[in-house]
Amino acid sequence: MQALTELWSRGGKDFAAAQHGTSFDIASRLATATGQEGAPGSAPVTFFDLQGMTKANEAFAKLWSSAIELSQTVTRNAQQGKKQDPLVTDLLGKVFDPRAWFSSMDGMDQALQRMAEGPRLADLWDTERKMLNVFNAWTALRQRSLEHNTVMLEAWLKAAGKFAKDLNETADRKEALGSWRELLALWVETANTALLETQRSDAYLKSQREILKASTDLRLAQQEIAAFYSEMFGYPTRAELDDVHRTVTELRRELRALQRANRDAPKAARQPPKGSRKQPKQAGPNQNTP
Amino acid sequence: MTNSRAPIHIKPEQAISEAAALGEKIARGAELFSKLRDNEVAIATTPKDEVWRQDKVTLHHYRPLADTKIATPMLIVYGLIGRYTMADLQEDRSLVRNLLNLGIDLYVVDWGNPSRADRWLTLDDYIDGYLAECVWVISERHRIDKVSLLGICEGGVFTTCYAALHPDTVKAMVLTITPIDFHGDTVENRLGHGFINIWTRSLKPEDIDRLIEAYGNLPGEFMGSVFSQMTPMRTLMKYNLDMLEVMDDEKKFLNFLRMEKWIADRPHHPGEAAKQWLKDLYQDNKLINNAFTVNGRQVDLGNITMPVLNVFAKDDHIIPPATSQALGAKVGTKDYTELPLPGGHVGVFVGGKSQALLGSGIAKWLSERQ
Repeated sequence: MQALTELWSRGGKDFAAAQHGTSFDIASRLATATGQEGAPGSAPVTFFDLQGMTKANEAFAKLWSSAIELSQTVTRNAQQGKKQDPLVTDLLGKVFDPRAWFSSMDGMDQALQRMAEGPRLADLWDTERKMLNVFNAWTALRQRSLEHNTVMLEAWLKAAGKFAKDLNETADRKEALGSWRELLALWVETANTALLETQRSDAYLKSQREILKASTDLRLAQQEIAAFYSEMFGYPTRAELDDVHRTVTELRRELRALQRANRDAPKAARQPPKGSRKQPKQAGPNQNTP
Repeated sequence: MTNSRAPIHIKPEQAISEAAALGEKIARGAELFSKLRDNEVAIATTPKDEVWRQDKVTLHHYRPLADTKIATPMLIVYGLIGRYTMADLQEDRSLVRNLLNLGIDLYVVDWGNPSRADRWLTLDDYIDGYLAECVWVISERHRIDKVSLLGICEGGVFTTCYAALHPDTVKAMVLTITPIDFHGDTVENRLGHGFINIWTRSLKPEDIDRLIEAYGNLPGEFMGSVFSQMTPMRTLMKYNLDMLEVMDDEKKFLNFLRMEKWIADRPHHPGEAAKQWLKDLYQDNKLINNAFTVNGRQVDLGNITMPVLNVFAKDDHIIPPATSQALGAKVGTKDYTELPLPGGHVGVFVGGKSQALLGSGIAKWLSERQ
């Protein structure tokens, strides 16, 4: 368990540091490439929000440390005074792995990012202004994801705390969980409640909305690049295709209406006065009609 | 603290035994998995014939499995989120087969696979266009004036709107797990229920407009991820523990895989129709307030004068019961019946108990109104 917690700790710090480092590096290179280089740490206002990203990183890293502390407490209490059982250690490791939590819970985030992240940044280098828009949008999406992960980590902490409390209460009653299934069932129930409560919170809904917006912005920024190249090489742009599809849809709509009007005209002429509708005929498919 | 206070007492022999059992299960499951082919996981296998097609929409007529006992044919209308195949998932869990076996003449409309080219299709097109055409085709084939409608989820909203706009062409309407009052989730406010309602209301209308502008439609995988969030721990456990539990039992494993197949088949929702669905209905709640319009015509629920059977799932976390039950106070018919069933949203159709009750309940209700 000690090894596991150290791994978390290292992983969390590395993750936060890598986010910050990568962002700063790309920002610096882009600023240099596009002639927008400013004083260190004071990126141009038109450039991406490095401070916001850093703040989001810090919030996440701080929470990550709390998660480590809590996991150590739970581990100590769970196996107090006992020689550590490798099976239990492994089980607890899986139960308490926050990465597994994120991998399940950020489904929407991942779905949006998969859809949004089409071409790589390197493929778009020649159109600096549009490229910057894409980069800004990409950075904003990363920042929003980090903020969302922070909300999720808070939920994880809450669930883990409740789980630890329940385990302690079980011990106080001189009861014990006798199988990994019982242990898992307790965790699933505890975690599910914590997650569902979190989903209704303003913080969660706000961060989801921000991710959705950021993802949409990124997609639109990418489409701007795509349109630029399409026009350059004489291909139809997305907007032009949308126009064509709109026209086709409207024409089909009109055609349907005309067909129906033509079809119903003779029927309407034959229609007896209202209130004297014919009785339904015997059911059975007429093979001669459509 | 002493050893006796340790809350976890997993005995070594028990742990070994559990591990061995798990190992055997995995081995048997792996063998079964390697033998299975995709065609063995076929869904929606009840024989049917295509009788009409327009654009991407097709109308199918099911071949009878028993003598017809209900004279008026019934059209199954699913929504644009997911596909009708849920009603015919497998032979022993099929609303379609149950209804056919009970002597109901059945049709089903398949909306196809909308792409970005279908971005501009509206709910008006689906309700007053394609659905209206399907009803007309069935009426012509049977030389009758009215057909019965069976709406499922969003498809239930389509049939509700259609029935309100064209009541003289609908003999009877059955709704299943259909939202009518889109703010009805606040009635019970149950934890884990009505997340889509809450989530959609947390967005601003312009967020939805920009989403559709960016993607052209409401991507199927996007809605899939929203659904996954509604059952967070189940999603987390699905491909490890849940699958492990069933993978050495061929029947259960095939059931699991068929459900996976249905979940994976999630078409995109046409963009303009999605805007109406999310903004007009989920956000502004226009349907229950008789403020929703189709082709410029107000959808007045009071115009629903045919018999209505409203089926809902008592533990439906996607469409909380109150969102469906709100219809009762709004329809213009006194012949309104509710059929609450045990289970959740999909369980009504595939759950052992509910799916049998659903088929027989619908058939009985229809036969009493011939």
